[in-house]
Amino acid sequence: MATSKTTNTYNRQNWEDADFPILCQTCLGDNPYIRMTKEKYGKECKICARPFTVFRWCPGARMRFKKTEVCQTCSKLKNVCQTCLLDLEYGLPIQVRDAALKMKDDVPKSDVNKEYYIQNMEKELAMGDAGAISGSKVNEPNEILMRLARTAPYYKRNRPHVCSFWVKGECRRGEECPYRHEKPTDPDDPLADQNIKDRYYGVNDPVADKLLKRAAAMPALPPPDDRSITTLYIGNIGSLLEQDLRDHFYQYGEIRSLSVVAKQQCAFVQYTTRLAAENAAEKTFNKLILGGRRLTIKWGRSQGRSGTSVVNQTAETYEPVPGLPGTLPELSNNFFNLEPGHIPLPNMPPPPSLLVPPMYPPPPLPQFFFNTRLPTFPPPDLAAVRPATSTSAIENVAIVNKNNVHYPSQDPSRLGATQLHADCQE
Amino acid sequence: MPKVRRSKKSPPEGWELIEPTLDELDQKMREAETESHEGKRKQESLWPIFKIHHQKSRYIYDLFYRRKAISRELYNFCLEEKIADKNLIAKWKKTGYENLCCLRCIQTRDTNFGTNCICRVPKGKLEEGRIVECVHCGCRGCSG
Repeated sequence: MATSKTTNTYNRQNWEDADFPILCQTCLGDNPYIRMTKEKYGKECKICARPFTVFRWCPGARMRFKKTEVCQTCSKLKNVCQTCLLDLEYGLPIQVRDAALKMKDDVPKSDVNKEYYIQNMEKELAMGDAGAISGSKVNEPNEILMRLARTAPYYKRNRPHVCSFWVKGECRRGEECPYRHEKPTDPDDPLADQNIKDRYYGVNDPVADKLLKRAAAMPALPPPDDRSITTLYIGNIGSLLEQDLRDHFYQYGEIRSLSVVAKQQCAFVQYTTRLAAENAAEKTFNKLILGGRRLTIKWGRSQGRSGTSVVNQTAETYEPVPGLPGTLPELSNNFFNLEPGHIPLPNMPPPPSLLVPPMYPPPPLPQFFFNTRLPTFPPPDLAAVRPATSTSAIENVAIVNKNNVHYPSQDPSRLGATQLHADCQE
Repeated sequence: MPKVRRSKKSPPEGWELIEPTLDELDQKMREAETESHEGKRKQESLWPIFKIHHQKSRYIYDLFYRRKAISRELYNFCLEEKIADKNLIAKWKKTGYENLCCLRCIQTRDTNFGTNCICRVPKGKLEEGRIVECVHCGCRGCSG
């Protein structure tokens, strides 16, 4: 039967040829001088079952000889080493890397589907290196992955296997036995049953599970429940200047204010939006190093050092109920010219002393707030509402001194929903 | 059954002195050939063959070159009858190969990278103080 060379070459599952293996440094070993054998079509790829070029070498003294286990196509698809199937950049299992980078890779796993996919991929890879490789999407180094990755090479995985004869007590080779005479790993240990296909497809990998658990347990800064807080506390700034901090923190969002307390080596930055603050916290917590120092990031408390407590004071304030014991007595020494009953809230942010930072003429501390605002900002729209007695002109605050109304719910004009601004127009 | 003699000629003088030893060695060889393979590795079962072969050749070589106890005629007779290995003895005459275990261990075509067997490495150069039994003949170091 005549078989022409060209018949049926279209859909043949091609055997793979390669010149040089794709390997990670740990698999290659510590010795920079390596002799490697190359065998064309030596073994089947463990994933796609195509014959491929097998490379075999000794990764160091007392190490077992390692060889490439999967073909180059399969390793390029997932950007992993051909022997250990760990990522080429981080040395982490495929499942961990995909979880951290949020990459979903749909390599089919079964039979003809798999063969078809691999075949097409190989063709694509051969054409041009651009698209097909999933690993090309790594642009910036991922933070989590860098934390999880090893710092030093782990040569223990190149060790010879455990001598099964010795385990049974029957090893006759003694000293010259190249296998390890050690206790084998505990079969109950979940790390004991690993499967190359599972590890490759990123499914059900016990080592990956362990690493992911460790990643979840890493310290994190949860955003505070009070959604109005947009201030971050920055500690350990050392000799950093306000401008340095500004130059860095502006990238997360518009900074409403930034104040440095040099004495306490800390600073407070407040953003205009809560989202920006959360973004900044996430990007800098335990990560930011400025001026050679790692900065401590924490959330600030409700009223940051940066002044205007407008948010809290849009609510209407009422005369406290006179008969109750809680009513504060009249101030005899009214140094601050405060309205009776309007004792301002104590300033929340903790350690820094309440020094007025010299660079900030406005906005001053709430203590002084009422006083200085007084001459400058008489809100015109409140003029109608404000009775003659109340003279403190706090911006946007409607001080309603209605008869017998001590709580907002007592206000007869209030119809269910808040009427902050409706009252202004009364 | 005595070993078969291919040539028609009778062995030269002095043969009777060496014959008993050679018979013993032949006997050992036959035992090695018929040993069971149980409990041994595939390569390991061949090691006694190489060892006894080395011993036989060594005996003849020693007698002639070292002790000079047999005549050249008898020595040539042994080589022709293949009692001793001519090629192996040829190597022993070279410096550095005096204790060569077998001819397989210097055959570079047998190795992946075209080198000699590990047993040819002198013990001084072989660090880590590890014991090697070469895979061909079970030799533990035949140089140095």
